Amino acid sequence: MTLVKEAPARPAQKRSAAPAAGRRGRRRENLAGYLFMSPWIAGFLLLTAGPMIASLYYAFTSYNLFTPPKWVGLDNFTTMFQDPRWQKSVEVTLKYVVVATPLKLLLALGVALLLAQNRRGQALYRAAFYMPSLIGASVSVGFVWRALFSDDAVVDRTQKVFGLDVGGWIGNPDYVLYSLVALSIWQFGAPMVIFLAGLKQVPQELYEAAEMDGAGPLRRFWNITLPMISPVLFFNVLLESIHAFQVFGSAYVVSDTRCGPADATLVYTCYLYQKGFKESQMGFASAMAWTLVIAVALVTAVLFWSQKKWVHYEEAAK
Amino acid sequence: MPKNGNVERRTILKAAGASAAALGLATTTGCGGDSGAGDGNVTLRYAWWGGEPRTIAIKKSIALFEKKYPKIKIKPEFTDYAAFWEKFQTQASGGNPPDVFQNAVGFLRKYDKRGVLLDLKAQADAGNLDLENFRNGVLANGQVDGKQLGIPVGANTMALVIDLKAFEKAGVEAKFGWTWDEYFAALQKIQDKLKIAGDTGYFGIMYLYDLYLRQNGKAFFTDTDLGFTEDDLTQWWEDGYKRVKSGLVADPKKIEQVQPKSGLSAGLAASEFTWDNFSIRYEGEGESDYGLAPIPTTDGKDTGQYLGSLMMSAFSGTKHPKEVAQFISFMVHDPEVGKIMGYDRGILATTEQFDAFKPTDPNNKGVAAYEDEVAKAGVLGKITPHPSGADVVESAFLRIGGEIAQGKTKPADGAKALFSEAKAAFAG
Repeated sequence: MTLVKEAPARPAQKRSAAPAAGRRGRRRENLAGYLFMSPWIAGFLLLTAGPMIASLYYAFTSYNLFTPPKWVGLDNFTTMFQDPRWQKSVEVTLKYVVVATPLKLLLALGVALLLAQNRRGQALYRAAFYMPSLIGASVSVGFVWRALFSDDAVVDRTQKVFGLDVGGWIGNPDYVLYSLVALSIWQFGAPMVIFLAGLKQVPQELYEAAEMDGAGPLRRFWNITLPMISPVLFFNVLLESIHAFQVFGSAYVVSDTRCGPADATLVYTCYLYQKGFKESQMGFASAMAWTLVIAVALVTAVLFWSQKKWVHYEEAAK
Repeated sequence: MPKNGNVERRTILKAAGASAAALGLATTTGCGGDSGAGDGNVTLRYAWWGGEPRTIAIKKSIALFEKKYPKIKIKPEFTDYAAFWEKFQTQASGGNPPDVFQNAVGFLRKYDKRGVLLDLKAQADAGNLDLENFRNGVLANGQVDGKQLGIPVGANTMALVIDLKAFEKAGVEAKFGWTWDEYFAALQKIQDKLKIAGDTGYFGIMYLYDLYLRQNGKAFFTDTDLGFTEDDLTQWWEDGYKRVKSGLVADPKKIEQVQPKSGLSAGLAASEFTWDNFSIRYEGEGESDYGLAPIPTTDGKDTGQYLGSLMMSAFSGTKHPKEVAQFISFMVHDPEVGKIMGYDRGILATTEQFDAFKPTDPNNKGVAAYEDEVAKAGVLGKITPHPSGADVVESAFLRIGGEIAQGKTKPADGAKALFSEAKAAFAG
């Protein structure tokens, strides 16, 4: 009887004790985790969350940095929507996003397909193609770009060989934006690496089976590769569009801090910067920033909604 | 499990240590900027914009000052023009601008309105700053509403810089009192004979339009507003655009390409309106010889010119106003400093420095001779006021002028845009 009495008691005790110990352990682990993160959390609260909340408030004020902000309600937004330069900046940015993003991804995917095959010296090629992305953010590349696309420089002279005499791109309001697009495309390394990782994940059996069924390379790409890497493609489209909306450095440097000529490279962030730091209209600049946040959120939402139609996740993963 | 617990404790300690270290770092950097007044030594921050030659010269002058005033140390900060004001604005709004800094007339009211500028009159009255011996009344350039907010270091005036070889080849002579019609006829002659444009783009230069307005009894700015009408400006820009189309004025696309080099030194045109002391720069940049020519007039007499200047200003919240005043006084009066600086920031503003520096090279000599001639011609007027926001209006003027030249904006629309942007700038 004692044995019988004790027998059920022990497992019961164990059952209740084990989760408690586990919970305590987990709590400790969490605490350690938070402690490790604390510098980052403090940084986030002080340097990111705080300023964001402040800028949300400033978006509804007139604020020149020196005198205290004055509440103006929605004035900044109404002025903004009527401002021809703001409209121009939206137009320039959309043009940039729509042209640069697909071209960059196309090139990234193309090169990734080439580099996914096992050949000698493959690591070297991968490093070489990734290189521009590493130095891409630097101001010096902007200067190099300016030199390349100026009148009578390399690009201009090459064009002339083919009978295209348009002069340099930098001074021409009709072309200068495309020099920025070219710069963006040139930095295709980051999405390429992600594509490469995706391509490596596609099971070889699928190709082998398709080959046996007589599917050609194009068909294999269309029916196997593309659906299999669609989650990666989705990720790249999302990331690159968001990046493109925020383009600043290249526009600022290539057009010599004026986002021109004739406002031709007046991308959204460039106008925001001019309003805030050159014209001291911080309220207006904050309103612009929040409008951008909302616009990017909307684009992201649309992309997420659309993924149901074209992104395939492996059933097996369930 | 017990092992695990140990690891946890250690990690917790380490994490805490890391945070403490980060905090410690923050506190140490926090006290970095102290100017250490305890031992009687004072450190002043001095900021300016400009190229490398200016920086070298100013650093030499600072070394002289520190030798003479061993208890005052000067910490230099310098950038190019555009970066300077962006940085300054951020520093000033955070209550941490440099103690002494380079300034120009377009920024005086703006930063006075924001309470950033120290009225140096009190320091002059206390004997720390000498306001005597300024040439041609340029001291007035630093005055706003009875306050002395800036002390001029040099004086300059607008001029027409010409490519001497091109003008000679075309057989054109620039003479005092010539009219705008004569000027444009000269450009035509240059275009006919040399197949190059005559001018780099006069109609986008705010300071030149100011002279034109002054010749016609108006001015670009009043104390608080624009001093001309939308129709005036539409006319000015329409004429300008016509001359771009006819090739009298250089193709704006080409001008844009050669930036930051000037269209004149790049050989795209034969003349350019700019400040006279800038002419020194063209000699280094371009292949031709360059000289200074008179500003065209409306009536054959009045050029509308005045002396502008770069100045030194001080922060209203500086902890060491006395030392700041001593430093400024030294920099604008000391003959040795005059010899070092030359005409880099315009013709030296005080007689002590002007007499000490005798230019030997043709460029500096040319600038001196030009200003001498202008002064003798008796055309120098008083400087036009620059309301708060003048700097924003100037860059809008340049930008919209460029859009019109590129054919992207119609002159009337451009004028309208400038007026609306100016309104916002004056209100800010």
